[in-house]
Amino acid sequence: MRYVLSVPGRLTLLLVVIAIARPALAAEPAQPGQPPQGAPPPPAAEPTPTPIAPAPDRPVPQGPDDGSPDDIAGMSHSDPDATLHEDNEFGPLIQIERIDITGNTATKTTVIERALPISAGDVLHSSDRRLRETRFKVLALGFFRDVDLAIHKGSQRGQVVIEVHVTERGTRVLNKLWFGTTDLSPGWGGADIGDRNLLGLGLAVGGGFIYARQGGLAGTRSQYAGELRAAISALGGTRWGASAAVTLVHGSEPFCAPRNGAPPVCAFHYSRVGARVGATYELSALTTLSLGLRLETIDATLPAAPITTLADNTPVAVDLHLEPGSSRVVTTSLGFDHDTRPDPILPHAGSLVALSAELGSSLLAGSYDFATIFGRFEHYWPVRGGHDALAIKLTAGVVVGDAPRFDRIYIADVDHMLTPRALGLVLSTAAPLAILGTRAEKPTYGDLGGSATAEYVFQLFRGSGKERVYGGDVFIGAGVWGLAERTDLRARDTGFVASLPIDLYADAGLRLDTDFGVFELAIANALGRLR
Amino acid sequence: MRPGIAALPAIVAAAIAGAAAPARADDDKPELQRMRFVERGDDLTVAIAPPGGIGKLFDAAAYEALGTGIESTVVIRIQITPQDSDEPIAEQLIQRSVVYDVWDEVYRLQLDELGGQKKFQVKYRAEALKWLSAIEDLPVARLAVLPVGKVFVLKMVVELNPVSKQTLAEVRRWLSQGAGGGLDRGGAFFGSFVSVFYNPKIAEADRVLRIRSQPFYRASS
Repeated sequence: MRYVLSVPGRLTLLLVVIAIARPALAAEPAQPGQPPQGAPPPPAAEPTPTPIAPAPDRPVPQGPDDGSPDDIAGMSHSDPDATLHEDNEFGPLIQIERIDITGNTATKTTVIERALPISAGDVLHSSDRRLRETRFKVLALGFFRDVDLAIHKGSQRGQVVIEVHVTERGTRVLNKLWFGTTDLSPGWGGADIGDRNLLGLGLAVGGGFIYARQGGLAGTRSQYAGELRAAISALGGTRWGASAAVTLVHGSEPFCAPRNGAPPVCAFHYSRVGARVGATYELSALTTLSLGLRLETIDATLPAAPITTLADNTPVAVDLHLEPGSSRVVTTSLGFDHDTRPDPILPHAGSLVALSAELGSSLLAGSYDFATIFGRFEHYWPVRGGHDALAIKLTAGVVVGDAPRFDRIYIADVDHMLTPRALGLVLSTAAPLAILGTRAEKPTYGDLGGSATAEYVFQLFRGSGKERVYGGDVFIGAGVWGLAERTDLRARDTGFVASLPIDLYADAGLRLDTDFGVFELAIANALGRLR
Repeated sequence: MRPGIAALPAIVAAAIAGAAAPARADDDKPELQRMRFVERGDDLTVAIAPPGGIGKLFDAAAYEALGTGIESTVVIRIQITPQDSDEPIAEQLIQRSVVYDVWDEVYRLQLDELGGQKKFQVKYRAEALKWLSAIEDLPVARLAVLPVGKVFVLKMVVELNPVSKQTLAEVRRWLSQGAGGGLDRGGAFFGSFVSVFYNPKIAEADRVLRIRSQPFYRASS
């Protein structure tokens, strides 16, 4: 969800950002050079330089030697980024007799046991990395505030009992909040909520509902959409996960701009009922493969000959990319996701790669033969020692064949200054800002689209969480977006540059990571709706 | 968007950011500690006398955790830079680990420092803490890299039980994953997010200390 800010709201936000950013940017003032003789005196707060003392006649203390043959001499540590001794285990060899899980009142013990990288009977050093990882594997479930481990004596020498003590937390989530007003709908509102650990079973459930009141555009109607979802990230402790969702959409969609000369009816009604099932497989801790199947019925009441008018009042036919009456969409999909960002909320390092391909076919009893491929890549380079970051974000999609309207790339998918769809509902007819002066009539839906963004992120602050806030960043970005129908690219009646369906967008805002959620307040979306 | 509603996010942001502003200074500002620098052979060594040092890395909970049988690790990253620059002329990584042997009831330590790795054991927890936190005649640089007469400072970042970036990514990955199979495919690929939930965060280390020495220089002999 993207908040929309009015002019006063934006000014308030900018003042806040500037006020806070200034001291952050000046947090490490440069110190003047300070040679011991003939140089300006140090600042008042800086202590006077002291000379290095000569060596006293006493030896450097050494640790008591237990005579162990494990002693290894000569290891160099001049490189501060050197790998820690992950595989150089030490400490006693132990055998896990039993694992006790304590502190869980809502979460089933089996859910936690399945996440453990250790099990009873394992023989390992007490500094083994699997023991260190145990805490984080359990935390990665997302159900606990904290996890502590302890080793206790077992029934025989060398055997131990591992205690895993968890502190549970609330797992209810407000995923999205929709609200706003546009010419198409004078008011819309809705929310998406969920519970990531239903009944302590590790099952994530959620649902959303949005209602958008009818506006003045002829042919539209009040719209609503709802969705229910369920997902489990690890089936029986395996790397396999599963998900399912059902959706209902009762909408109306504009297909021409309301202007002089436009047809009296510029919208059509439709309804969609669909179900999706999916499976995921964790290739590694940071990489996931997903498979999906989608069944959907569309009922659309289409005008016999939909037309729109260009700026010069020339009427042109519109392809709504839907079968009149009832039709079916049946697809299979394959996805890949690799995310190495240590902090996905305020990323300053790492990268994200996401690819998705979907195939719809009459061979699967669908009414549409098409394929879609979407890709997303983000990479973050730390700047100023990780204090700031430079990011490149690329998204691209291609739709091949006779794809239904709702599976095509929508203009707000690529132009971030427009109102995005919510649960599939189109909520605005605002045209994109024409900054480059390229082709004026950009399509609302296309089969080729994408965006490229360069973003600079300033670290505003980092907190320990004691103030309920972990950190905040200010970001400034700009990029180019494009959306086209391939048929438009083949036939053009203007120069090459003027015919390109591309334009610029800019964005800036604030990202906050708090212990009650994560927030992104972006200006680009507001700018798009202030016209 | 009605102006009143529109200004709400900005006000919320202002309140959150304002409340968090003091945390920035607390977390990032290095603590100035008086250190004793000594030329010992070809090396520069450093010592910090109490009440300074890195002992405050261990609060009561961290001290108790030394006896749980799970490894505790202190990583000390040291840089020596000219006083007027952030470019290090010498760097050191020091790692000290301890694990309690529940059967022999001793603390087994492993120290990785300039000069090699050392493994030994001590009987008492306080003794283990001392070995983990002592900054005493610690070799930090070759004297050859410190020109006579030039002024330097030593910067030290000390972490208790640091977490690798990959582990952090793994722990927080669920935040960037959807709830599964929803309709908003466009949002997942192209959109941003706002979400309200109880959001515990795993820090990059249990505790971090940033320490800076007073300026120092090599006097000509």
